[in-house]
Amino acid sequence: MNHDENIYLPRTAIMDRVTDEIPEVKTFYWHFEDSADQAAFRKFRPGQFAQVSIFGFGEFPASLPPSPTEDETFFTVRSVGSCTAALHQLKPGDKFGVRGPYGNGFPMEEYYGKNLVFVAGGIGLIPLRSCIVYALRHRDKYDRVQIFYGSRSPRELMYLPSLREWERSAGIECRLTVDRKGPADVWDGNIGVVGSLFKIPGTSIPVENTVAFVCGPPIMFRFVIKDLLSLGFKEQNIVSTLERYMKCGVGKCGHCCIGVAYVCTEGPVFTYERIRKLGEDI
Amino acid sequence: MKARILDRADVLKVVDLLRQKDYEVIAPFRGRGRDTFFDTVTDENRGRIEIHLPNPYYPPKRYVFPHIERLLKAHSNNGYIQIEPTYDMHRRAIFGIRSCDTAGIFHLDGFYMGREFCDTYYKRRRKNLFLVNMVCTDPGEDINSECFCMCADTGPAARDHFDLQLMDLGDEFMAVAGTPEGEALFDDSIFRKGGEGHIKKRTEILEGVRSHFKNSTRNWFSAAVRYISRGSILEKTWETVGERCLECGGCTYVCPACTCFTVSDRRVSPGEVERVRVWDACALAGFTRMAGGHNPRRAVHDRRNRRFFRKLEHHFIRKELSMACVGCGRCAAVCHGDVGMPSVVEMIRRATTEIDKNES
Repeated sequence: MNHDENIYLPRTAIMDRVTDEIPEVKTFYWHFEDSADQAAFRKFRPGQFAQVSIFGFGEFPASLPPSPTEDETFFTVRSVGSCTAALHQLKPGDKFGVRGPYGNGFPMEEYYGKNLVFVAGGIGLIPLRSCIVYALRHRDKYDRVQIFYGSRSPRELMYLPSLREWERSAGIECRLTVDRKGPADVWDGNIGVVGSLFKIPGTSIPVENTVAFVCGPPIMFRFVIKDLLSLGFKEQNIVSTLERYMKCGVGKCGHCCIGVAYVCTEGPVFTYERIRKLGEDI
Repeated sequence: MKARILDRADVLKVVDLLRQKDYEVIAPFRGRGRDTFFDTVTDENRGRIEIHLPNPYYPPKRYVFPHIERLLKAHSNNGYIQIEPTYDMHRRAIFGIRSCDTAGIFHLDGFYMGREFCDTYYKRRRKNLFLVNMVCTDPGEDINSECFCMCADTGPAARDHFDLQLMDLGDEFMAVAGTPEGEALFDDSIFRKGGEGHIKKRTEILEGVRSHFKNSTRNWFSAAVRYISRGSILEKTWETVGERCLECGGCTYVCPACTCFTVSDRRVSPGEVERVRVWDACALAGFTRMAGGHNPRRAVHDRRNRRFFRKLEHHFIRKELSMACVGCGRCAAVCHGDVGMPSVVEMIRRATTEIDKNES
């Protein structure tokens, strides 16, 4: 790392197009104005994140849903605060700032030869999308690949076209569920929390030589962990990404520091074993 | 390290020498009552610089890590956007910085420039900063009941991390150079060589001064590091600390070794935004609250625990090569709930003595 480089300086990014995902969530396709920045950024790993700047509103950390094996760079962001709301107002051609990628990311190469079990809830699928696409691109490197994904309602299923494609694909087992179905919803799949998918007859989850990726809201996380542990998973074979309030992304501002770890530089990917030792709520 | 002697009457000439070298010189002054503060020396106030006075509560840390600091400006206009970082390249010298605060700046060096990423803004300010450390030798003025630098091993006389150190020997001052830049000042005729007698006098004075410090925290400071690092402090102890915390964040704002900041954008004119960083405090409820309202650290004792854990955990001390507490005693002086560092160390001592008693 060059010591005189300004770690807080965002690079100019240009919005290419914006697509709706689910209510309040949109995907923003963008590229850096400077092609050298784009080339450097594209070396990111699944599970890393970037700091997005909307000048006048601030900066926020956003996970990277694309896989480095894909051509386009994009963010999928829910409008929750003033800064994300400002991002949602941007139109194609608008300029904003991005810096990164930051964090450790998932060690996908260390998982070669293993079974991959992805368990996601709601927008927890955003960071895991990167790993899933990466794993499918390197399908021969992994043993079984399973996806268990749930959302509150059918209308809140993220990346639905991709989910449908994964359901149809050979070599990947994809199971979906929703917490509840409204009267207007068209849904003939499973109803129940994500953990209920593990108990459907005929579902077999490999425990030996398996890595389980878990991402979702805190309540879902707690229950899924319980389910996985009772299936026989070891704490060190369950991985997740932590979400924290962050201002800098480079281990200086102090907001994301839990236990002895700065989530931004030592995370955001941690094994459940480590998360438990850090001693704070998910 | 080279040392020289200068007359008492010539001490403020060190300030003049630095001003001649184009430094903005910062020095301590006395306000009303107990109030003391660091300020820029001008022709007008130069004569009012104080050598011995209570260490100002607002630490000189702000000259390397300002309370509010602009990081960049962004100009936007009709789809055009220009991001321009802004740096402070000012040459500054702090005259009369105490040993504890010198150690504080050394700690900031390790944190901002020594971890995975180097903070450019801090580095630029630090490179242009000259430190003239003043040894605390006047028990009536320099040392108060909250000082515990002896426990943190940072004072009363800093061993390093200064450019020049001055110590009051009575009619004369001893000057010690800590860097080649500090030593370069010795070319001036106010400095002369000293002898064995001066060294003896320095040793005698320091021995005498040490007896004026409260050092009850001393043995327990390292024990507290051990207990915290092992995770053997009872939740109950943190709860007691939490109950007494008023969540004002005062301890952080007076701390010479706290590093946390938040970042905020502000519009300065149509089409122009500046991004600033502002000191932040882990005692405040919003410190970890995310957009949408989720806050992983809810209880106040969680946040209090956080401050002491961050400062005393061995992992951080090893990583930054120094402890994030330098024993200045400011947190103890400003805390309305009496949960500054020395009190917390004392509470840990009492709680552990109780455990030991029950276990035996």
